[in-house]
Amino acid sequence: MMSDVSTRPRVALVIGSGGVKCAAAIGLWSVLTEAGIAVDSVVGCSGGSLYGAAIAGGWSAEKMRSLSESLWTDDVMQGYRENLKASRDGSLRFNDRSGLVDDTVLNQNLERIYGDLQFADLDLPLKLVATDLHRGEKVILSRGPVRQAIRASIAIPIIFPPWEIDGRLLTDGGASDPLPIDVAIQDGADIIIAMGFTLSYRTRMRSITAVQEQLTSIYTNNILNATYAFHNLAHHAEIFPVIPELDEQVSMFDVDKIPAVIEKGAAATREQLPHITRLLQASG
Amino acid sequence: MQISNRDTNGVVVVCPVGSIDATTAAELSSHIDRLVSSGNTRLVADLAGVDYTSSAGLRVLLGAAKATRAKAGDIRLAAVRADVLKVLSLSGFTSILQLFDDVDAAVASFA
Repeated sequence: MMSDVSTRPRVALVIGSGGVKCAAAIGLWSVLTEAGIAVDSVVGCSGGSLYGAAIAGGWSAEKMRSLSESLWTDDVMQGYRENLKASRDGSLRFNDRSGLVDDTVLNQNLERIYGDLQFADLDLPLKLVATDLHRGEKVILSRGPVRQAIRASIAIPIIFPPWEIDGRLLTDGGASDPLPIDVAIQDGADIIIAMGFTLSYRTRMRSITAVQEQLTSIYTNNILNATYAFHNLAHHAEIFPVIPELDEQVSMFDVDKIPAVIEKGAAATREQLPHITRLLQASG
Repeated sequence: MQISNRDTNGVVVVCPVGSIDATTAAELSSHIDRLVSSGNTRLVADLAGVDYTSSAGLRVLLGAAKATRAKAGDIRLAAVRADVLKVLSLSGFTSILQLFDDVDAAVASFA
């Protein structure tokens, strides 16, 4: 069921960073589609970029399900252990363009999944968020090849090498704006459905990288909370947070947990659905 | 939205019932504005009957906190339901507003 965009509020969907947990967006999208809620634009960040692009491209839920398995293959982290060891003993010289992972497989997987898809080809306007590694600024990507923008947006710091676009060295969007509601506000959305994820904390840390990862989680979660609060107060209309509650930790390669993650995303969306529907009916 | 008041020991307990969103927030905001304008600056929002608050509801609560605190008062929240608490926590409101398990404790906190 689609209503006339000129007479109803503009609805934006924002999918934040969260690694494999972002597959919850498939559940969200299925519930919104079943309810006939039309979305006018999509914003994605980091792992959320993968699904934001798929939603904007009009992919089926089934095609989106296969996306994660096709992307996070066993060999996508090739070189990680060796490079980590080499970085510790000094035999690997690390700089701003480095990552511990050889990204050849990741890039091939992205190419296989998204091909030459361009932003201009998508059914819905899409904006993806990355971070300028040198300046710390959020960078909004909305033109050219979708695959390149996704690659930049998911460049987990230190793990994957940053990605250069238009002369700027870009890293994970979650470093600057893990739930970029502000991009939707800037575009004039009246109603924003925002799926966000908090990063899990470790209970034990036995290495420098574990402590570093823990600190990244702490920083990211605090950025998420602070920006969410600001956006709520700054926006003139409504932000509906969809925060899936996951019972267990989901790491990047837990693709076997994706069906459960999708269901959690659907459940979190169903909780918000009556409120979204009521507002749309009152506003429409 | 149904909104009622009761005065308990000089503290006005405001009891909204329903959801606080863009369709109801203005009504609650006006209600609180009238209370503050008439000199009632020690408020407790009894949220036992509120099943949902959106960003519009957060803005009302922040506005009420600013208005009451500007006059040496406060608005304190009582009996917040789990779904509402989730939104308050995510947005950091649990750090800037005082929450209590029940109305009696919230009213007593003004003593």
